[in-house]
Amino acid sequence: MSSRGFSKKPAFPERWNAPLQRAFARWIRRRGPVHPPLVLGYRQIYILPTRFGWLIGLLLTAMLLGSLNFNNNLGLFTTFLVAGTALLSMHAAHRNLDGVRIAAIGAGRTFAGDPLALSISLQDTLGRARSGLVVEAPEGSASRGGRVDAWQAAELEIEIPTSSRGWLKPPRLRLRTRYPLGWFQAWSWFWSEQRFLVWPRPAGSAPPLRMAGRNADRQRPGDESDEFHGLREWREGDPLHRIAWKASQRHDTLLARQFSRPERGRIMLRLADAPAPDIEGRIAVLARWVLEAERMDLEYGLDLGSMQLPPGIGPTQRTRCLDALAEFG
Amino acid sequence: MTTRPGRPTVLLVVASFVFAAMPHMAAMPPWIVAMILGAAAWRAAIAIHDLPRPGWILRIFITFGGLALVVAYYGTLWGRRAATVMLCVMVAAKLSEMFRLRDARIVAALAYFLIATQFLFSQRLVLFVYLVIGCWLTTAALLQVQRDADDVPAGSTIGSALRPVIRDGLAIIALAAPFAVVLFMLFPRLASPLWGMPDEALDGRTGLSDEMTPGSITELFADDSPAFRASFDDGAPPPRSRLYWRGPVLWRFDGRTWRRLDIASRRADRLPPAEPGSWSYTVQQEPTERRWMFALDYPVSAPEEARVTSDYTLVREQPITSLIAYDVISNPLFVDSPSLQGWMRRIALYLPEDSNPRTRAFARSLRERFENDRELIEEVLAWFNREPFFYSLQTSPLGRNGADEFLFDLRVGYCEYYASAFAVLMRAAGIPTRVVTGYQGGFWQAADQYLLVRQSDAHAWNEVWLSGEGWTRVDPTAAVAPERVSEGARSALAGGAGWFAGEWLYAIRNQYDRLQNLWNRWVLGFDDERQSSLLERLGLGELSSAARSLALLALAALALIPLALLWHALALAPLGTDPLQRRWKRVRFRLRRAGMAPGIGETPFELAERVSTRLVNGDELLTLAARYSRLRYGGEASAEARTSFFESARRWRPEPLNPSGSRASKNGQHARSDHR
Repeated sequence: MSSRGFSKKPAFPERWNAPLQRAFARWIRRRGPVHPPLVLGYRQIYILPTRFGWLIGLLLTAMLLGSLNFNNNLGLFTTFLVAGTALLSMHAAHRNLDGVRIAAIGAGRTFAGDPLALSISLQDTLGRARSGLVVEAPEGSASRGGRVDAWQAAELEIEIPTSSRGWLKPPRLRLRTRYPLGWFQAWSWFWSEQRFLVWPRPAGSAPPLRMAGRNADRQRPGDESDEFHGLREWREGDPLHRIAWKASQRHDTLLARQFSRPERGRIMLRLADAPAPDIEGRIAVLARWVLEAERMDLEYGLDLGSMQLPPGIGPTQRTRCLDALAEFG
Repeated sequence: MTTRPGRPTVLLVVASFVFAAMPHMAAMPPWIVAMILGAAAWRAAIAIHDLPRPGWILRIFITFGGLALVVAYYGTLWGRRAATVMLCVMVAAKLSEMFRLRDARIVAALAYFLIATQFLFSQRLVLFVYLVIGCWLTTAALLQVQRDADDVPAGSTIGSALRPVIRDGLAIIALAAPFAVVLFMLFPRLASPLWGMPDEALDGRTGLSDEMTPGSITELFADDSPAFRASFDDGAPPPRSRLYWRGPVLWRFDGRTWRRLDIASRRADRLPPAEPGSWSYTVQQEPTERRWMFALDYPVSAPEEARVTSDYTLVREQPITSLIAYDVISNPLFVDSPSLQGWMRRIALYLPEDSNPRTRAFARSLRERFENDRELIEEVLAWFNREPFFYSLQTSPLGRNGADEFLFDLRVGYCEYYASAFAVLMRAAGIPTRVVTGYQGGFWQAADQYLLVRQSDAHAWNEVWLSGEGWTRVDPTAAVAPERVSEGARSALAGGAGWFAGEWLYAIRNQYDRLQNLWNRWVLGFDDERQSSLLERLGLGELSSAARSLALLALAALALIPLALLWHALALAPLGTDPLQRRWKRVRFRLRRAGMAPGIGETPFELAERVSTRLVNGDELLTLAARYSRLRYGGEASAEARTSFFESARRWRPEPLNPSGSRASKNGQHARSDHR
């Protein structure tokens, strides 16, 4: 995003080598809190001219020199008026961040390789509306410009790339603004100590599921909630309301309505069964199987050797299984 | 983050450019103006009607075509006018590829630059209005560009989209103004320029010419703009009949045109002494692009960067390209050239062969009747007065025997005609004569004690050389139309002058010039000298330059304090533009003042519920909050519902429950009764 803006590549310190980076992080941390929730104040807000701001500076210098040389007083006044505007713009950019509370960073789940959508919730604590707030990640991705009304809260979404399964620590983010004129950029660093789980990327192709103890033809008796299956002779113990009175009239005996539930396929997904040379490959296959089982409406459980998940079905089961796969090892 | 400018953004950026280029366009040839306006209109039309963009071949063609045309017209890019025209044309070409926010920003930034460069040509008072409006529009355009970049949703119509930035732009300019004023007063000036201004005489704003052909130029006499202003140290000016502001002196005559004598523009050998009876005054001269400066007869010394020529004209070393002020002392009693060298005499007597036979014959007959030069001159002036000569600007040009035609046939003309014919007549009679051009008279601004001399006060008169008296001024026009000298060109022309507007307009222009005069003195004339005297008055005069810079910084910082206060007062945050939100904000503000500060992230209704128990009129607050939520987040609301909410919100004041539980103030009861 910012690669298309006028400030092509913000000087993110991530490009520096590790010790410098750690020192930089320590320095930022010393200046004030950096983990949400935090309220941005004087010590956390940095400000510098944007590329366009430097251009305006250059223009102002030219105007100043020309006007001074020709003793051109109106030219000078124009220069000073624009300079005053620049000063106000700097102040306004700072003011636009000052007192913003970064309340939390939240995220859903995503498969490794897909971008993870972080949602950053912001609040105003000083009774001022803010506009043009953008969250940027070091890789150059950025959120859309956001607005926070006075005393209100708002959320900004930013996508960060993921590469492998497991717990992901989001990178150092920055909240920046170029309000009001785009001459100055004010920003604050913040990062989360919270980590987010990234699911393993499902294998592109996986062998079909091996049904374990599948008994598709078997029926087991059900109750009224299941579908109507047929009639049979009434026996002692059958509830009265199950008697099919109309049908019984045509027979000598009382008939009772019978219900049944078609038995779901049930399957145990075992790490040992996954046909892949290495552990990551197997986990990828298992992840694919979880999705397949969910799609085919099978009950599935997970057996990772060290831990087992009992069979189940539905989003909760899916999440539980994928989480277990993500954390495995 | 968006990177494409929206429709309102494009329109505002184009408008700010066109406004910034306006005074520049006034000085351009019409076809360049048409090109610039065409480019602007085209870009606006693309934005409004979603027309296809120009291809890159067309854009390159426009850019280089524009460049080539300007170079072809001006022959150069070196020079203020050519360079600024070039800049205008280039920005106009840039419009054809302004499809990214980045380009829109650059166009707007160049609009600031165009505004500043305009003042190289003129710094008149009206242009201050141009400065302010131009900066305002440009700032608004940049605000709008940034709003696009920040994904701020624009209003449904172009008007509603631009209203907030127009308002914020004005606020920014208003807040930047005090800072600019302080900096303007304190910023160190250069006593001498770092580099020179290129010479050029382009804009036709040239004032008096250095040659004279009767009948060729009448524009000057129709030009009511100021040529210069003079304020006299004694207060009142000398009598009008002495107010001959000396300009170029013309010696050489080819039968049609009078020209200067190059050798006479060398430095004067002998300067008049500053005796009692001299006049001391300050002239504030408008730019002319020429080198003439104007003084009364005879300047005793030259101002800086100028010299007194041997025919006692002030000539500057550099053309006058901006308003200048200079002090002059003139000694009217000085005798110019008590003796005339032979070669000079020959030049001052020269007439082309075989021209003006009737004038020559008339001169001979006069010479026979009058031995004495002075008597002869008296007779000619009396003759002018006696015969039906008329003073008028509506006359016809003259041919080769101009003096004959004028003296015996036409007899209608203005100063140039009289001065030229008189000089021919005198030379034919053997009296050395030259023509002096300049200005005569002026309008006395009694309230502000200065003499305003307009271009229309331009005049031409003669000087004859008389033995013992030297060069002596003779004004033949005054013999024909004495009111030209006693009351000025306007009264001499009364009735016949079509281009002078009504009296009231003239009066307004005189009043306006008083403002212009103050402007020139206090704003344009604010140079390093005035600055030093201001600093001295501020008690900073004795400081070294380093200390002065520090003091400057300190003062600038001080200027920021009221600025910061103002800023907070006006709260130039991105204010809710929604009137609904503004009303609710005010309710919240009142609550906070009453000690019931809204919590962070609290919805209106949550807030109302929380604090209503502490208020006498808490139920009203609940109603207001509910209505607000409905209006803001509900569907389309009727105008009446909004208006009635505005009304109630405006009137509502919190009435806290007293510990004693008694009713709240009278004011509050009033509000209640309104509300129910």
